[in-house]
Amino acid sequence: MVSPVFTSSSAVFRRTAPHLWTAAFLAALVLVLPQAAVAHDIPNDVTVQAFVKPAGEHLNLLLRVPLKAMRDTEFPERGPGYLDLARVDASLREAATVWIANAIEVYDDDSKLPNPQIVDVRASLESDKSFASYDEAFAHVTGPRLQNDAQVYWNQVMLDVLLEYPIRSDRSRFSIHPGLARLGLQVITALRFLPPDGAVRAFEFAGDPGLVRLDPRWHQAALRFVKLGFFHILDGTDHLLFLFCLVIPFRSLRKLIPVVTSFTVAHSITLIASAYNVAPDFLWFPPLIETLIAMSIVYMALENIVGGIGVQRRWMITFGFGLVHGFGFSFALRQTLQFAGSHLLSSLLSFNIGVELGQLLVLMLLIPLLHVFFRFAVAERTGTIILSALVAHTGWHWMIDRGERLRQFPFVWPALTAATLASAMHWLMGILILAGLVWCVAKYWPLKFPLGQPSPRRPLGTGTPQVHAVGHGLETETGGEI
Amino acid sequence: MKRNVYIGAAFFALLIALRVGSTVLERRAAAAASGVQAPRFEVDPMWPKPLPNHWLLGMTIGVSVDAQDHIWIIHRGGSLERMENYLAANPPASECCMAAPPVLEFDEEGNLLAHWGGPGQGYDWPVSNHGITVDYKGNVWIGGNGRGAQVAPPTQAAALNESQPGGGPFNDNMVLKFTQDGKFLMQIGHPGQSKGSNDLENLKGPAKMFIDRETNELYVADGYGNHRVIVFDADTGKYKRHWGAYGHKPDDTSLGPYNPDAPPAQQFRNPVHCTELANDGLLYVCDRVNDRIQVFKKDGTFVKEAIIARRTLGDGSVWDIAFSKDPQQKYIFLADGSNEKVYIMLRDTLEILTSFGDGGRQPGEFYAVHSIATDSKGNLFTTETYRGQRVQKFVYKGMAPVTKKDQGVVWPKKAS
Repeated sequence: MVSPVFTSSSAVFRRTAPHLWTAAFLAALVLVLPQAAVAHDIPNDVTVQAFVKPAGEHLNLLLRVPLKAMRDTEFPERGPGYLDLARVDASLREAATVWIANAIEVYDDDSKLPNPQIVDVRASLESDKSFASYDEAFAHVTGPRLQNDAQVYWNQVMLDVLLEYPIRSDRSRFSIHPGLARLGLQVITALRFLPPDGAVRAFEFAGDPGLVRLDPRWHQAALRFVKLGFFHILDGTDHLLFLFCLVIPFRSLRKLIPVVTSFTVAHSITLIASAYNVAPDFLWFPPLIETLIAMSIVYMALENIVGGIGVQRRWMITFGFGLVHGFGFSFALRQTLQFAGSHLLSSLLSFNIGVELGQLLVLMLLIPLLHVFFRFAVAERTGTIILSALVAHTGWHWMIDRGERLRQFPFVWPALTAATLASAMHWLMGILILAGLVWCVAKYWPLKFPLGQPSPRRPLGTGTPQVHAVGHGLETETGGEI
Repeated sequence: MKRNVYIGAAFFALLIALRVGSTVLERRAAAAASGVQAPRFEVDPMWPKPLPNHWLLGMTIGVSVDAQDHIWIIHRGGSLERMENYLAANPPASECCMAAPPVLEFDEEGNLLAHWGGPGQGYDWPVSNHGITVDYKGNVWIGGNGRGAQVAPPTQAAALNESQPGGGPFNDNMVLKFTQDGKFLMQIGHPGQSKGSNDLENLKGPAKMFIDRETNELYVADGYGNHRVIVFDADTGKYKRHWGAYGHKPDDTSLGPYNPDAPPAQQFRNPVHCTELANDGLLYVCDRVNDRIQVFKKDGTFVKEAIIARRTLGDGSVWDIAFSKDPQQKYIFLADGSNEKVYIMLRDTLEILTSFGDGGRQPGEFYAVHSIATDSKGNLFTTETYRGQRVQKFVYKGMAPVTKKDQGVVWPKKAS
């Protein structure tokens, strides 16, 4: 009676796209393989709840998965499709072995543990709440079962499994590779790790996350976040376009250092602040930030076109926009911070390092390319205007699109309560401290870095400056003030 | 140099002033927070996502949230206007639109997951479906309040009135039980067979159901034609007990129109519109047109009542309720489809703390808000009947001091 949902929603497509290959593969498998006694549909959405608890010489892995995700297993039924609970145990064990125990790899330090023992399995109601905590879940899985005469429809129950692995010590560093992505088109796993020190570390991931280090060493977490930051910047078209705008007039690493450093410091501040939950909790805050990022691109591009940009002015503006981009980074990082273990700050800094490495790579490619472009293809001033205009065009469209989304949330002044005023004062203090820092840097910068002085009074667009190789980068004769 | 010292001193003085000011204000805020508080909500104008296939919702007449926090609604495709069904004509009269299937399942993000419903083999689909409940075993229960015969397919225009659907005697004298896939499991009662409020086999316009997980009993608000709560075994459909207002034996004598200045009616008026069982075993019943909630023990013993918006005439004020998701279920959310608001009440005293919403068709407004449900995160979902015809999500934004009796439309804003 259920029909498939036909939808052209791009959001749905984006959400499911990473799983399309898996889905296609599974669909092909279903077509090619001989039909099993029971061939159930692949569920769209599957949520797995799991606890990992090392204790003494054993590690307990408690899982709850929807029974409908256990395909190609025949569960005994009675009546219109009620589970025959008196005869279901063997089928549940078979499903738990094939779909769960065999799909999960657990590591003690870096040694893969042998296959687990299935201590217990049972069918539970979807509305059962015992997986709220490990103790309740353990008591439930090892306690009384549903009564044999209970009428529960077979695909409206959960399969609870208790797996036990032998371990060397409960103080080892454990990792898990939960290969549960094949349970459905979209599989979300909510896993809680309970080390002996009493802490509870929560993870939530979609599909197959690869090897998850439940208690990573600082360098393992750092490496993960460096990679994440590196690929995030390379994958973020809007951040790259912003960077491109910065580079066009300052095609020298030396000149770009204060600007890029200012951007880095600023986005680090807001990124770390967000990770510590200081960021505002508005429904409209993410669309606001996305719109501001697009505006930052438009502004930078227009400034390039208008000309007359000094390093001092640009690093200050870049600092402001860096604060905005930092919030943007934090949205991307929100789901990943769980993999930081107890190394939140070092992981955040590592993410920033990754972002900087990515930026550096982009700069190393862009600077010589722009030099070649301006030397052989088009005059520098004209080229600057053309390139910036193209970027401004793209940024403008993003700004309009994202602004439209933002407009869905009309601004309402918050009520003037004591809490609101206190919060506003906190923000003012933060802004004041930042402004003080910027003022100090602006005041003393020229003493230490004379290259940051405003441009010699050379009119803009009057001929192409000569290019010389200087140090690791290239710079123009005029000091890059073009 | 001296200038810099002045600037520095001013800077630090300002910082200290802000710090002192914020500390004082925080203390005041803490003192205010220790006063009356209530859950705060903001409408999510982006929920749900657009329906596929040019589908439209008609009178959206029930909502329920299952154990996976999936949102189930039921609506009446037959209540759409002629032009809203052009795509369903043969041949299609235009590229848009047509009625969605009656039962729709959404995830928390507002994606449509599944859909089913309508007449089929082995059961009597209501002429005018009404109310949907997903029970603790995941089964889906549906009521109805239609009169006359099943004459029109759901996609054909038939402007039904929510209170008096169709014409003639009540047809929908049954509740239906399905699996989440839409497979039929059980029917209690038969079309057109009701013998009134003391008939033990048939219902009469059942509005809403609740299933007690402790006893596996089905409580039915019965309903549009009868004046009672009736209890069945949820597996076998076997009759257990029934009662009317104040726990009296129900009586079908006409009470006439509701008079807010008259003594409280000793019987439920039609419709008896909701029945919800709290964790502590108290059963809350919506006596819609009498503008009251009545509270009972599971055996039908009357406990207490509360009158809500006493001067509300016509369709009444107590349409549907949902409990907050804390273990104590401290709050009741009451949908009032006449005054177009949701009241937030204390469950133990039935005192109204505040309300939100207003009449209108924009997000956060209501036109005939009919049904209400909460998910495990405390978010609220409402559906609207008559020409409201939609489902809305109100995001739980934590507890907040009560500063207004009527909050009006709760647009998204800063969380406190």
